Amino acid sequence: MEKVGRNAGFYTAATIKHAALIALALVAVFPIYWMIVTSLKPESEVFTSSFIPLHLTFENYANAWNAIPMGRMLGNSMVVAVIQTVMQLLTSILAAYAFTRWEFRGSSLIYGLIALTWLVPFQVIMIPNYVAISDFGWRDHLAGLIVPNIASAFAVLQLYNAFKSYPKTLIEAARLDGASDWGVLWRTIMPNLKSSIASIGILLFITSWNDYFWPLLVTTKLENTTVQKGLQMFISSDGNMWGALMAATTIASLPVLLIYLLLQRQIIDSFVKGGLK
Amino acid sequence: MSYEAVGVTRRHASGAKPQSKERKPFLLRLARIKPYIYLLPALVSIGFWIYKPLLQTFNLSVYQWNLLPTSPKQYVGMKNFTNLLGLPEMGIALWNTLIYTLGVIPFSLIIPLIIAIATDNIGRKASNVYRALIFLPMIMAPVAVSSVWRWIMHPTNGILNKALTDWFHLSEPIRFFTDEHWAIWSITFITGWKLIGFSTLIFSAAMTGINKEYIEAAKIDRANRLQIIWHILLPLLSPTILFMAMMSTLFASEWSFSYINVLTQGGPFNTTTNIYYLLWTYGFQSFNIGASSAAAVVFFLGFGLLAWLFMKLTKKLSFFDN
Repeated sequence: MEKVGRNAGFYTAATIKHAALIALALVAVFPIYWMIVTSLKPESEVFTSSFIPLHLTFENYANAWNAIPMGRMLGNSMVVAVIQTVMQLLTSILAAYAFTRWEFRGSSLIYGLIALTWLVPFQVIMIPNYVAISDFGWRDHLAGLIVPNIASAFAVLQLYNAFKSYPKTLIEAARLDGASDWGVLWRTIMPNLKSSIASIGILLFITSWNDYFWPLLVTTKLENTTVQKGLQMFISSDGNMWGALMAATTIASLPVLLIYLLLQRQIIDSFVKGGLK
Repeated sequence: MSYEAVGVTRRHASGAKPQSKERKPFLLRLARIKPYIYLLPALVSIGFWIYKPLLQTFNLSVYQWNLLPTSPKQYVGMKNFTNLLGLPEMGIALWNTLIYTLGVIPFSLIIPLIIAIATDNIGRKASNVYRALIFLPMIMAPVAVSSVWRWIMHPTNGILNKALTDWFHLSEPIRFFTDEHWAIWSITFITGWKLIGFSTLIFSAAMTGINKEYIEAAKIDRANRLQIIWHILLPLLSPTILFMAMMSTLFASEWSFSYINVLTQGGPFNTTTNIYYLLWTYGFQSFNIGASSAAAVVFFLGFGLLAWLFMKLTKKLSFFDN
């Protein structure tokens, strides 16, 4: 930037930057805004283009709640997402600890096998997994939704990076104080990595809550499925109940939106970090 | 780090009781298998639910089967593979996959890169607000996203068609999901909409990581803005660019799967189907497990090759800044 006329030039450049970002932000946010607004409009208003509900109502929520077993499906989603998240964290904490604590034969091979799972698309392995779930008698069963996802390669890789950053000297010190390997993990390392483990946990929860493929495949009855699959069935069954559909969509997105409202900084940071690795 | 850990209580050793006679060798052996014990839960799960089914898919690809547990699998050798190209919808699915892959690139690479470069250093507070808003689509569930866009893009009642009619005086509304010329672009757009904020943040993060001294040095040498972008920023961003290019090439079709499934089911006239959706319809609609598995094997190997090429390219081209 030239020294002369710096101010004028500086401000136009800044204006253009902000205009571009505001445009992008509007494109990103408007559909979600429109979802919420539509869900709060009475039937007579749903088809108008007004950007705020003129007569605020919750009747769409009542309709959506009664049209499909919403409470039951939300409960299912919550159980599946919480158990999955906890199991994925546990299995990957143990795995990440093994990789960073010891040198052992085959460690890079095993790490490679875990890392390479991202090359295996869901659609390539869905038929054998569907057959396995059917053999176990777990179709239309929460176990069928949870058990195939108790380990997450993504979580292992993310936690591996977190564990790697933990200073080895502190582990040595704890060992000299007589701590066992198990104790080192839970009493020395874990308290210090709480925040990164929590943000990985949040990502896992969101991923699991939003999952659609697997419930689509192994569940058929509304009472036994998650809210995502229920929403899909509501979409394909609808006549013209747009208000109720948007209410159902809002309910299904609410937990994730609330978490995002509270913790967006951490969520964005860990997503970006996960993407860059 | 070593595995010596003799004389320390090992709660994990509950499987076998140490015998006092051979205490030392046993403990040594135990210490040696300890890492594997910690790895076991993750490995068993990943092995059972990812690698075992992968091998099974390879195996199923040489059989004819209709998914019924009672009906026998019939060995047909390579027939499923030789029949692949003649299968219904295979040609159009491959073509559509190419459209999805190329169609997503503006959203995953071009626009995010421009925005990231243009909006570098706009102040911390403002950038946090923008980040939070731009990233929002990424955390939304694909089904919820489909639902919302189905409403916005509805032919007669959707706000988009109303706006377009007002602004451009369309003679009739655009049927975004049922018009065979529009449907695939609508799906591509939704896939891109979900992605664009994430890509922008990835590129912005990479921009923040660039050492600003290079740019200052170039300015002193009287390089103009375009020269700086071309000769300094783009080479420094090349690892990120390649990474995002790889992600969108490999996953564009997988990402669009949910939108196809919820919004068009591959139609109208198969114009929105892609290879992953095809695997789905072969497997669970026509119950042609052999065809689905053979196609899965071919696509898996094809995408694996692509990934390998991308990684080669990354190693070769990337200019790392230490």
